[in-house]
Amino acid sequence: MTTAATFDAVTMRFRGHTALTDVTTGIQADTITGLLGRNGAGKTTMMQLLTGHRVPTTGRVQVLGRSPYENDAVLSRLCFIKESQRYPDLFRVCDAVAAASWVYPGWDQELAEQLLEDFELPRKRQIKKLSRGMTSAVGIVLGLASRAPVTLFDEPYLGLDAVARQLFYDRLLADYAEHPRTIVLSTHLIEEISDLLEHVLLLDHGQVVLDADAETLRAQALTVTGPSRSVATFGAVHDVVKTESLAGQTRAIVRTSTATAHRDAVDLGLSVEPTSIQQLVVALSLRSAGAPTSPAAPSLQGVSR
Amino acid sequence: MNRAVAAARMQTVHPLVSLGLPWAIVGLSFAINLIVWRVGDVAAQSPGDGSTGGLGSLYATVLVIFIQAVTHMFPLAMGLSLSRRDFFAGTALAAVVQSAWYGLALVVLTVIEDATNGWGIRLHFWAPSFLHVDNIALQFLVFAVPMLACAFLGIAVGVVWKRWGTPGIYALLLISLLLAGVAAIWITWLKAWTEIGGWFADQSVSVLTIALPAALIVVLAGLAFQGLRRTVP
Repeated sequence: MTTAATFDAVTMRFRGHTALTDVTTGIQADTITGLLGRNGAGKTTMMQLLTGHRVPTTGRVQVLGRSPYENDAVLSRLCFIKESQRYPDLFRVCDAVAAASWVYPGWDQELAEQLLEDFELPRKRQIKKLSRGMTSAVGIVLGLASRAPVTLFDEPYLGLDAVARQLFYDRLLADYAEHPRTIVLSTHLIEEISDLLEHVLLLDHGQVVLDADAETLRAQALTVTGPSRSVATFGAVHDVVKTESLAGQTRAIVRTSTATAHRDAVDLGLSVEPTSIQQLVVALSLRSAGAPTSPAAPSLQGVSR
Repeated sequence: MNRAVAAARMQTVHPLVSLGLPWAIVGLSFAINLIVWRVGDVAAQSPGDGSTGGLGSLYATVLVIFIQAVTHMFPLAMGLSLSRRDFFAGTALAAVVQSAWYGLALVVLTVIEDATNGWGIRLHFWAPSFLHVDNIALQFLVFAVPMLACAFLGIAVGVVWKRWGTPGIYALLLISLLLAGVAAIWITWLKAWTEIGGWFADQSVSVLTIALPAALIVVLAGLAFQGLRRTVP
C-alpha cells in the first residue's frame, strides 16, 4: 500500500502545550481515512501540518513525497476544508466557487453546480449571512468539486442537518468511486461515518493510539460478557480495552489478536457481541486518558490544556 | 491559471471595494470642497493657492483596503491551498495595478483641473500645488508611487494583525509612538528642527513623492513578507 503522506517523528509544540508528540504514521493513498479523537487530541494540528499551514517543531511531514510548506507542486494537489474557514465579508457563494475554480487544476464546475443545487445554496447570497450549516455546505461543495488528489475535511459538517449529512456521505462515496483519491475526514460523528471509512487513525493527547484498516478493526473488536474469571482468562491473550464488573460478572471490550478469538470466547462460555468502531474508539480514548501507557506523560498535557 | 494571478483576482472580486469605495469617499470630499469654494468664494477671499488636503482621503482609504486585503483574504487564499508566496505576490500585483489605474485617473483629473482653471473657481483639489509638476509622466509617478506605498503600508499592518492579533497592533502603535517620541526629543535636544525642515524644503517633489516612497515600499514589502512566512491563517 502506498502512502500519500507521512509523518516522521513529528512533534508540534505550542507555547504552554504539546499538540503532537513524536508521531510517526502514514496516510494511505486512494483511501478514505478517518482521523478520530477527542477535542484537543491533535487532529486539526495534524491537518495544518499536512497543508503547510504550520511547520513541525521537530520531525518531518511529507505529502506526495515532498514537504508541503510553501510548495506549489504539493499545494496545488491538496484541498483542505475546515469548519473554521473564514470567508471575506462581501464574498458570495458564487465568488467562493469562482475563486476555487481558479486554483484547483482538477476543478469540476459541473459537479460544483450540481452540489450547489443539491445543498440548495443561494449563489448570490453573502457567505457571512448563511447559517452555520449552509456555510459548512459551501466548504463541502469546494472540497468535492476540487477533485484534489489529497482532500482533507476537518469537521466538515458542523451544523449540517441529518439529511444534508447523508447527502454529503452519498456524494462523497459516489465521487470517490469514480475518481479515487486520498481523503481524510476528521469528525466526532464516528458512528455515522464508520461505514465510509477504510482506515482509522485515532489520536489521543497528541499521540497515535490506533492506526488500522477499518475492516480488520471491525473484525477485531469484540465485547465479551461472562464470569470474571473466564473473562480474565480470555483477556490474558488479547488486548482488553475496557472492563466493567458487577457481582462476579465482567463485561469487556477487547481488541482480539487471533483469528480464532470469537470461537475461543464461546468455548470459555462467554457471550460475544460485535462491537462498533465508535465503541472501540471511545474505550481506547478513555483508557489512554486514565492510564497513560507511554512515558511522554500525556496527563500533564491534559492539565495544561 | 497562474496561482499568483488567481490571488490577485481574488482581491478584485469586489469592484465595489477596490474601486467604488475609495472614489466615493474622495468624490464626496471633492463635492464638499467644490460647494464650499463656490458658496464661500474662497479663492477671492483667501490669498492661498487654492490647494486642499482632500486628496488624502483617497490614500487613506487605499491603506485601509489593503489592511483588509490581508486580514480578510489571507485565510481564504490559504484555505484554497495557495502558498503564502503566491498570496503575497498576487496581493502586491493587485496593489501595483490599482495604484497605476488610480495614478492615471488622477492625472486625467489634474489635466481637467488645469484646463478649467480649477473647475472655474481656482480650486486645486486633485493636484495641490505641492504635488503639481509640469511633466505628465512625472505627475503620474507623483500620484502612483505614494499610492503604492500606502497599499504596502496597509499590507504590512494587515500582516502584523494576522500574525500577532490585536496585541500586535497595540505593540506596533506603542513602538511607533515611542520611536517618533524619542526622535522628536532628540531633534529638539539638538535644536535641529529648522535644519530638518530645511532639508525637506530643499528636496524636489520627485524625491519626496517618488524616491522616498519607493524606498519605503521596498522596506515594507520585505518586512511584510518575512512576517507572513510563519503566519497561520
